[in-house]
Amino acid sequence: MFFHIVLERNMQLHPRFFGRNLRENLVSKLMKDVEGTCSGRHGFVVAITGIESVGKGLIRDGTGFVTFPVKYQCVVFRPFKGEILEAVVTLVNKMGFFAEAGPVQIFVSKHLIPDDMEFQAGDMPNYTTSDGSVKIQKECEVRLKIIGTRVDATEIFCVGTIKDDFLGVINDPAAA
Amino acid sequence: MSGEEEENAAELKIGDEFLKAKCLMNCEVSLILEHKYEQLQQVSEDPMNQVSQVFEKSLQYVKRFSRYKNPDAVRQVREILSRHQLTEFELCVLGNLCPETVEEAVAMVPSLKTKGRAHDDEAIEKMLNDLSLVKRFE
Repeated sequence: MFFHIVLERNMQLHPRFFGRNLRENLVSKLMKDVEGTCSGRHGFVVAITGIESVGKGLIRDGTGFVTFPVKYQCVVFRPFKGEILEAVVTLVNKMGFFAEAGPVQIFVSKHLIPDDMEFQAGDMPNYTTSDGSVKIQKECEVRLKIIGTRVDATEIFCVGTIKDDFLGVINDPAAA
Repeated sequence: MSGEEEENAAELKIGDEFLKAKCLMNCEVSLILEHKYEQLQQVSEDPMNQVSQVFEKSLQYVKRFSRYKNPDAVRQVREILSRHQLTEFELCVLGNLCPETVEEAVAMVPSLKTKGRAHDDEAIEKMLNDLSLVKRFE
């Protein structure tokens, strides 16, 4: 789910940026530093939308760098366990399939794909029901439920399931 | 973090910080990101190079999964859903997935039916009807 939240960060600024454009410099450095990053707690920072406040700078002893506490609003993407969302299938293999929802990758193991769907190898590997009516392959849109998240310093990785009511393929551009 | 273990969106356990935060539906994110992208286009020749991979992927994703394209419809959807005492998170899940039946809506957002909240099937059905009207007249 996407959220609009306020985050705070201490920005260190080199003295050569002090002057009329201090604020602009601070903001552009902030964007460069945090946009596109990911933390386990807040998820992926997609875009900064505004600056709430820039606090008083504190000169660091010995270096001349100044630290400013900056509060900023941003759009973040944070997946949650139990959340249901839509995703695009990116890779299918005999273990299951990978799907992408924005910046996050979700793996759906074949044990979490309905039992009546069988893996079919070939140049377009896919999972198909025995009557061939439903097919999961690359570029399909699926609705899935996140059942687990793994967080490390710079990445969030999810495990999902489509073995539940109202989950599964919602659209297949290749079949249309 | 012990809070991390307990997390479960189906029961609205998403941490205080996010529960109080403003959630965004995909269509709203799409408006924000496209606006930002246009701004970038004005200052640089090759904006795709300027943005992070996270931004690019998110933009593609929300463009693909936006149920409502025009800003007025987006505003109406939020207005309709906010009449129903939903939390921000529930509101956005419903706005994103656009369930068609009451059963589907409850499967998508199980917390609608918990802790004796005033959501009977009729109220949910009315809400879904209102939503589909917005979609139809967009």
